[in-house]
Amino acid sequence: MAATKKTNSELLFNGILLENPIFRLALSMCPAVGLTTSIKNGLLLGTAVLFVQVFSSCTIAAIKNFIHPRIRIPTYTLTIATWVTVIDLVLAAYVPEAYKQVGLFVKLIVAFAIITMRLEMFACKNTVTSSFFDGVGMGIGFMVGMVTIGFVRELLGAGTLLGYDVLGFKPLLFFVLPAAGFFCVGIMMAMFNYIEVVFNRSKERKS
Amino acid sequence: MKEIIRITFRLTLSCFLAALVMGMTFIFTDKAKKDNEHHNVQTTMLGLLGYSSQNPAPKELKLYSIYRYIIEEKGTTYLGYMVPVSNAGKESYEFLKLSLDGKLEQRLPLNISLEKAAEDAERQSVLKEALKTEKGFAYQDSTVVARMGNQRLAYLLPGKFGGFKTHIKVILSLNPQFDVLGLEIMEHEEDPGLGAEISQNYFKNQFRNRSFERLKGLDVVKEPLPDEYRRYLDAPDKFSGEQLDTILTQYRDKDIYALTGATISSRCVTDGVKNMAKRFAYRIKILDEAIASQKIPALI
Amino acid sequence: MSTLMKRSILLSIWLVSIFLASLPVCGHAAENSFAKKTDFKDNRTIVIEFAGAVDEEWATSPANFKVNEKQNPDVLLPVEKVELSPDKKTVLIRFGEDIDLRAAHVVSMTPVSSEGKNMGPAILDVKKSYFGYLFSILIGAMLINNYVFTKYLGLCVFIGTSRKKDTAVGMGITFTIVMVVSAMISWFLYQYVLKPYRLDYLQVVVFIGLVSLTVQAVDTVLRKVNPALFKAFGVYLVLVIANCVIIAVPLTLASNEYNAFESFMLALGAGGGFLLALFLMSASRERLELANVPPTFRGLPIAFVATGLFALAFMGFSGMAIF
Repeated sequence: MAATKKTNSELLFNGILLENPIFRLALSMCPAVGLTTSIKNGLLLGTAVLFVQVFSSCTIAAIKNFIHPRIRIPTYTLTIATWVTVIDLVLAAYVPEAYKQVGLFVKLIVAFAIITMRLEMFACKNTVTSSFFDGVGMGIGFMVGMVTIGFVRELLGAGTLLGYDVLGFKPLLFFVLPAAGFFCVGIMMAMFNYIEVVFNRSKERKS
Repeated sequence: MKEIIRITFRLTLSCFLAALVMGMTFIFTDKAKKDNEHHNVQTTMLGLLGYSSQNPAPKELKLYSIYRYIIEEKGTTYLGYMVPVSNAGKESYEFLKLSLDGKLEQRLPLNISLEKAAEDAERQSVLKEALKTEKGFAYQDSTVVARMGNQRLAYLLPGKFGGFKTHIKVILSLNPQFDVLGLEIMEHEEDPGLGAEISQNYFKNQFRNRSFERLKGLDVVKEPLPDEYRRYLDAPDKFSGEQLDTILTQYRDKDIYALTGATISSRCVTDGVKNMAKRFAYRIKILDEAIASQKIPALI
Repeated sequence: MSTLMKRSILLSIWLVSIFLASLPVCGHAAENSFAKKTDFKDNRTIVIEFAGAVDEEWATSPANFKVNEKQNPDVLLPVEKVELSPDKKTVLIRFGEDIDLRAAHVVSMTPVSSEGKNMGPAILDVKKSYFGYLFSILIGAMLINNYVFTKYLGLCVFIGTSRKKDTAVGMGITFTIVMVVSAMISWFLYQYVLKPYRLDYLQVVVFIGLVSLTVQAVDTVLRKVNPALFKAFGVYLVLVIANCVIIAVPLTLASNEYNAFESFMLALGAGGGFLLALFLMSASRERLELANVPPTFRGLPIAFVATGLFALAFMGFSGMAIF
C-alpha cells in the first residue's frame, strides 16, 4: 500500500484533530476514562505516551528494512516494551510524587492499541522524519484529549484546576469516580460527532 | 528452515539490544530514585518533629535507626535488633539477639557505618557474616529514634498496613511516653477524592496530640467534621494560647471523624496506627530492658 | 451457540473442580490431637474445642495461654480472662483489646491438663479459612474490583466485542483461558527467575512476551486439536494481546506477592469478571441498537454512557467483605 505523502505540519494537525486517537479513532480508552481525574494526571500520562510513541515510531521507521515480516508484531511489542520500561524508570526516579498516582498505567502503555496501530499503519512504511511528526501529532492529540476530559472532571468534581482551588466547593464529587469517566467520554464523543455533522452540513450548504 | 534460523537470530538480537537499553537506564536511574526516596523520608521526618526549611533542625538533633529482624535457628525463633552503639567514640552497630520472652542471648558487634546500614543489601551482607548463616534471618521493620543531645525527643515509626485498595505506608511520630505527635501518609493507592483524602490535613491531623491510652481505644465515627475543628486541623500551627486550649479540650478525646464516602479507608488508617503504636510500645520496653541489663553503650 | 455455551460451561466446571480437589481443606489444623478445633468468635474472643473435658483450674487461668500474631511472635496479646463451657470441652479466651481478625494467630498452651492427666503441650494456629480467603480473592477480582467497571482496563476490546452476545461470550471465554494460563506461567517466572536474579525491571517485557507466546501456543494447539472450536474462538485470540487486563493481572500478582493458588484465583476472577461485563454489555447493546437513540449518540457514545451506568451499579459492591 503506498502511503499518501503528507507534509509534516499536516501530520501534526491530523493527529490532534482529524484522527484524534481518543475521540475519533476510539483507541486507548482505558486511561481516558480512568486517569483523567485531574489535569495533572492527564498531562503526565500524555507526556509519557508522547515519549513512547515518538521513540517507538522513530525506532521502527529506522529499522523497518531489517524487520522480518513474520515477526512484525513481536518486534513492535518489544520496542514498545523497552521504551515503556525506560520511561517508567525515568519517571520513578525523577518525578516520584506524580509517578505514585499513574504508576500502574505507565506500565500498561505497552498494551495501548494506539501505539501498535500507529506503528503498523504508519511507521513501518514511512521515513524517520514523517514518523517523528506523526508520533508527535498522535501524542499531542492524546494529551489534548486527556487534558480536556481532565479539565471537565476536575472542575466539576473537585472544584480545582491543576490543584488551585477555583470554585471553593465541590460541585459533584461523582465526577471523580470512574463511572463519570465513562459518561464524560461518551458525551464528548457525541459532541465531536455533532461538530462533524455541523461541519458536513455547512460544507454541503457551501457546495 | 533457513527462514526460521534468521527469524530466531534477529529476534534474539533485538531482545538483547532491548535488554541492554533497559539495563543501562536502570543503572542510571536507580541511584536517583533511592536518593529521592531518602530525601523525601528525611524531610517528612523532620517535618513531623516540627522542623522545616524555615525552621531548620539544630545540630544537637540526631536521628538513629534501629532495624528489627526475626531469626530462625534450629527450629527456635529469636528476635534480632540492629542497635546503633558508640564504640570508643566511633558510631557503629551491634546486633542483639533476644529470645521471644525478652532475654538477651547474644551480642554481636557489626562493622558497618550508620549511612551504610540504611541500605538493605549492606545490612544483609554484614549480618550474613556475623550470624554465619545466609537464610536464617529476615528483615521486619525499622524505627528511628530522634535524640536531642542526651534525651530522647521522639520515636518515628515507618509502617505499612492494608488499606481499602492495597496498602498504605505511613510515618507515625510518638513522644517518649508514646503519645502521638503526628502522622504522615507516605504512600497509598486509594481512590482520588475519596480514600485519597487520608493524606489531607483535616484527616491525618486528627491523630495529633492523642495520648497513648486514648489511642488504644480510638474508634471511627461517621459524623460530619465540625467547622471549627476543621479550621484547626487545616493549619494547627497557626493556633496558640487560649484558642488552642479550647479546641484541644473539646476535641482531644473524641473519636476520629471518618472521611465522607471513605469509612473503610479511615478505619484502616486508624486500626493500622493503633496496632503500630501498641506493638512498638511493647517492643521498645523489652529492648530498653535488654540494653540496660548489659549496660550496652547504645546511642538510642 | 447453545452447544458452545454448554461445552464452555463444562470445561470451566471441570477446571474449577480439579483445582478444588487439590486444595487443602480449612487451615484450622491443631497440632495436638486433643485440641480439635480453633476459631475466632468475635473481635475479642478465640474459641478452642477439645476432644474431652479439661480441668477447670487449668482452663480458667490466663497464665496458661499465650497468644500472639503469627507475624509478630514477640508481641504477646493481653489475655483478660479465660472461660470454660459447662460441658468443659470448650474454652473461650477473651482479650482486653480488639484483635486483628485478618491476621493468623498462634495460641501456645502449657501442657493441657485433662482429668489430672497430662495431654502434652499444644501450639495451635487460629486463622480464617484459607479457602475463604481464596474465594474472596476470586469474588474480589470478579465483582468488587471488576477489571472493566471498577479498574477501567481493557476498554478498547470491551467496546469492540460487546456488540452481540455471541462475540461477547466467545471473547470472554477465550480471554479467561489465556488469562489463567499466562498468569500461572508469569507467576512461575516471577518467583523463580525474575525475583532471585533481581531483574524486576524486566517485568513488563517478560509478561507481555509471555502473553504473545501463550496466544501463539493456544492458537496452534487449538488449530490442531479442535478445529471447530478454533473456528469459533480463533479470531479473538489476537485481540487478547491488545487487552490491558492481560498484563495488569501479572503485574498485580507480582507486586502483591501472591502464591500459586492465589494467582490462579485472581486470574480466574479477572477473566470471569471480564466475561460477566461483556455479557451484560452485549445484552444491553443489542437492545440499544433497536432503541430510539439521538443521531449524535448512536454507536460509541451511547455505549459509553451505558457502561457508565453499569460502573455505577458495580460501585455498589465496593467495600463488600466475605469471610
